[in-house]
Amino acid sequence: MLAPAAAVFAVLFVAPFAFLFVVSFWRVKTFKLRPDFTFDNYADTFTKYLEPLVFTMAIGFAIATLTTALAFAFAYVIRFKAGRHGNALLVVTLVTLFGGYLVKIYAWKTILGTEGILNSALLALGLVREPLTIFIYNPGAVVVTLTHFLLPLAVLPIYGSLRGVRDITLEAARDLGARPARVFLDVVLPQCLPGVTAAFAFCFLIAAGDYVTPRYVGGPYTSMIGNFIEGQFSLKFDWPSGAAMAFTMLGACLACVAVSRALLGLARPR
Amino acid sequence: MTAVSNALWRAFGALVVALMLTPLALVVLFSFTDNALTNFPIERFSTRWFRTLFERAEFWKAFGNSLTIAGSVAVISSVVGTLAALALARLGERLANAALVTLCFPVMLPALVIGIALLVFFNKTGVPFSLATVILGHLVITQPFVILIVYARMVGFDYAAVDSARDLGASPWVAFWTVTFPMVSTTVIGAALIAMAISLDDFIITFFTIGGGNTLPTYIWGKVRTYLDPSINAIGTILLALTIASTVLALRLSRYRG
Repeated sequence: MLAPAAAVFAVLFVAPFAFLFVVSFWRVKTFKLRPDFTFDNYADTFTKYLEPLVFTMAIGFAIATLTTALAFAFAYVIRFKAGRHGNALLVVTLVTLFGGYLVKIYAWKTILGTEGILNSALLALGLVREPLTIFIYNPGAVVVTLTHFLLPLAVLPIYGSLRGVRDITLEAARDLGARPARVFLDVVLPQCLPGVTAAFAFCFLIAAGDYVTPRYVGGPYTSMIGNFIEGQFSLKFDWPSGAAMAFTMLGACLACVAVSRALLGLARPR
Repeated sequence: MTAVSNALWRAFGALVVALMLTPLALVVLFSFTDNALTNFPIERFSTRWFRTLFERAEFWKAFGNSLTIAGSVAVISSVVGTLAALALARLGERLANAALVTLCFPVMLPALVIGIALLVFFNKTGVPFSLATVILGHLVITQPFVILIVYARMVGFDYAAVDSARDLGASPWVAFWTVTFPMVSTTVIGAALIAMAISLDDFIITFFTIGGGNTLPTYIWGKVRTYLDPSINAIGTILLALTIASTVLALRLSRYRG
């Protein structure tokens, strides 16, 4: 009974992925793919696209950190502070989880734009005399938009692990004289670390691999590596380069996530 | 002290909810105005942008494509995913978890990478780009959710009733349709609706695998790139209504909470 799902996974995911990896060592001549075994595409990625790659990792790290922190606080509210409203907060989180990717990006474009909602509200309230141009077409707009998009995705794994923290354990810790901060650091945090790590890794990969958000709200000077990868496929037809850039990006993401995880481990008290 | 800190926590919770919902609410709000630009002040509420949209043949084409793709994806991925979840539920927990993590791997990756991998793969294997390739591409990311949701339901499943049916002489096929399926059917429908929402909303994989033509998201993409046409608010509202309605219905049916 597993066969159909395994077939979808093998034929539509593993095979295309493996083939893309093979293609990353090929070369392109007069718009035609030539099988080869060259590392030139990877070398090119590091020489020509190092700057966007580093920028992408930096902004990915900022977005993942911000989103994970917000998501943790929000999941904490749902689990411990909201009482009977907790379920309603969870439903709100889930409602837009599976829909609205492009609509959210477009919404932020209309909110932050020079002739946008925020500026028109500020003008109407008399807070500014001229529309402000600082809201859009910069890295900040990309951070805001992607954080908004990723937040529900990050809340879920963290909430899932907070749900595993049992009230009776917390009461036991309190009864034994642990202060709230101690309870949090020694009981709550260790138990939800897997959820936090998963949320961080997930946000990092999705943010670093996005190209639509920087295209819409990032402006001409906020191109992420995804924009260049997309360009290799839709404009330049240099698939081997695009493939090499994509695998370099994935490798860099995994390295960043591993380093962040190690740092988190070091920063842990005790 | 505790009262103050609890009030602050609740205020924070309310603020995050507002942050999550406001951008989407604004899209819906402005879709029902007469404004030629999406900004304040709102002069008049109207359905002008919906009417403009409904007069365009290209909108209906994109809408039809979206429904064809999402409907097929919902049906195929719920069948394939349910079969897999039922099989996994019969395995040991460790083996099942390892299989789940593996099958869910595509969801962890940026859609861009999946999109370009499929583009190159379909191109080199000579599969012509069409709505069918989009459907195949969507299966990769919807199947994991169906498996997760149905598997979560099967974890607490009581096999006693199925075993009784088998003991009383029902074939596996009859036992499945008369005992197992009625017990899990709402969850399966819920999972199918989630798959539908994901498919309806997907832009990136669709963009790389459709070849020609539009779905609602690629139609929005084309418009945002050129000029901020207020009819985008109306398409956005329709897309949100479809995805949110199927998600809400799915949550009610499957009682799935992450």
